[in-house]
Amino acid sequence: MKIAFVVQRYGLEINGGAELHCRWIAEHMQKHWNVEVLTTKALDYITWRNHYTKANEVINGVPVKRFPVTRTRNPEKFGRTQKFILENEHKETDEYRWLEEEGPYSPALIKYVQDHQDEYDYFIFFSYRYYHSFWGINSIPDKSVLVPTAERDAIIYLKIFKECFRKPRAIVYNSLEERQMIQSLSQNTGVKGEVVGVGTEIPTEFFIDKFRQEYGIQGDYIIYIGRIDENKGCDELFDFFLRFKQATESDIQLVLIGNTIIKIPIHPDIYYLGFLSEEDKFAALYEALLLLMPSFYESLSMVTLEAWAMHKPVLANARCDVLLGQCQRSQAGLYYQNYPEFKAALQLLLSSPRLRNVLGENGLGYFEKHYTWESIENKYLSLFSRLEKEI
Amino acid sequence: MDENKKDKIEGNDQPAIKIDYDNIDVVDIMNQIRQNIASQARDEEAAGPCLANEEDRSRSEEPAKVSIEPDITYAPIPVSRAKRILLTLMRPFAPVIKLLVLPVHHEMMETINKLDYTNKRLDSLSDKMEKTLTQLSQEMYDSFHKTNLKIDSFNDSVNRRMDKTFHDFGKTLDRAREYTKLLHNLSHNIVVELTKLKVEEESLKIKNRIMEKDFEHLRQKEKAIEKQVFK
Repeated sequence: MKIAFVVQRYGLEINGGAELHCRWIAEHMQKHWNVEVLTTKALDYITWRNHYTKANEVINGVPVKRFPVTRTRNPEKFGRTQKFILENEHKETDEYRWLEEEGPYSPALIKYVQDHQDEYDYFIFFSYRYYHSFWGINSIPDKSVLVPTAERDAIIYLKIFKECFRKPRAIVYNSLEERQMIQSLSQNTGVKGEVVGVGTEIPTEFFIDKFRQEYGIQGDYIIYIGRIDENKGCDELFDFFLRFKQATESDIQLVLIGNTIIKIPIHPDIYYLGFLSEEDKFAALYEALLLLMPSFYESLSMVTLEAWAMHKPVLANARCDVLLGQCQRSQAGLYYQNYPEFKAALQLLLSSPRLRNVLGENGLGYFEKHYTWESIENKYLSLFSRLEKEI
Repeated sequence: MDENKKDKIEGNDQPAIKIDYDNIDVVDIMNQIRQNIASQARDEEAAGPCLANEEDRSRSEEPAKVSIEPDITYAPIPVSRAKRILLTLMRPFAPVIKLLVLPVHHEMMETINKLDYTNKRLDSLSDKMEKTLTQLSQEMYDSFHKTNLKIDSFNDSVNRRMDKTFHDFGKTLDRAREYTKLLHNLSHNIVVELTKLKVEEESLKIKNRIMEKDFEHLRQKEKAIEKQVFK
């Protein structure tokens, strides 16, 4: 079976989100299928400027075809367009205009999908919200499978996407909550769907002492890994953590890993380490007492799965239905909706190593049951064999 | 669930959370945390905004007692031996001395009288102030109590109205959802019917065209027969 993975960006430099999700799935499924990746030449997701020069290359054994982005994104204009459609009554044409601004605007990629559809059995499109997925699915609905990676943000309520969720042959969801949200929005119960998610790659070795020595961290700490951004709930996290420190006089420290786009408060117990290598990241996670996950919007938190794979409990934002559902199904994390709950839950977790251990064990069990690569690959194979039987 | 199997964890300033480690339930833990937070909030509310505990509150309900007595006792001036002898020697001249001292005595009596009057005024003012303060604190307490009752009843009524609204809204939403499903089915059926009709229309058109051709053929046949008959 020949399968094309269609994604907005692709490369070893991209370390998160739907792009990494796509790369891992493509790399793991190449032992079952004849896999090819169709993507753009962009690396920067703000402007989609062409970065890669080669049209064809092979990354970790997967052939990649790259198509140029013919119009880069102007962030200011995009911001204005998005603000307009989110805050005003508008026409469908405004939403198409927004989609063009959203990008990555690569008509060559869509034309290739249309012209060469007979060469592939299926096209798996990643991220519903981008130009390539929308027009790709509209061009070849019968051969398309969508991995929406949808979050409960305002964009999903746009009219154009309701129809788009009804068109593909199948949808691969990241979580039960994502499926419920998309089905209730688009009434696409007729479209085949499977909750699959993604596994994770844990480095074979990492050095804890080296990590502590290099970054000068001593004593117990809790950790946040990911983009340090308002949308990820980091503002609220800083506020809650500082209030917690003041109220309890606890000596717990907070370690932050990831790129930041907001100002981090200066405090002796807040360590910002920036973007780390996978080895250092996992060493930091291994040494942490627990992972904090303050995000409001997630379709599947990969870092939460990594924490569970490392036997660590999670304290998550309950206002994100995906995180809440994952904590409740796995029995591997507590959650909070406001500061008193944050304080009480964190105090409870910090004061009880036994509770942390039991939650960590549950997390590991949940990860091994649902998110090992064998299980993920089997889910994909089972879905596609059902699609084949339909024909 | 067996209570004995549950272990208790007590935070620094929070009540115990019961956890069954053999069969852990994060929803149950979070519910306990939420109940504790709610009960703490209720306790703090009951204690009032300024007074931290019940002891302080009971203290506030007692009328304030202001002591006007200075914290000293009266002690007579000690008389020395020499002074006592001199006083004894002067006793025969006492009437003359009294006569000489009369104006001073009068002034002193006047002063004592004024001081006594001032003391009485201070006592009465102190009493008055005490009464006013007691009355004021009672009024404040009554007013706070009434306001609290009003806020509670207002909260209750808002909660009831919100519950009712949500309940009604839920019903309306369910109904709307059902209508949407029905409309969805309806539109689906309409599309199916329209497709059928379209197919039927096409086949009727084809039949019509065939019949037209048949008529044409028959007409030609008729003309040919007519020619043959009227030759």
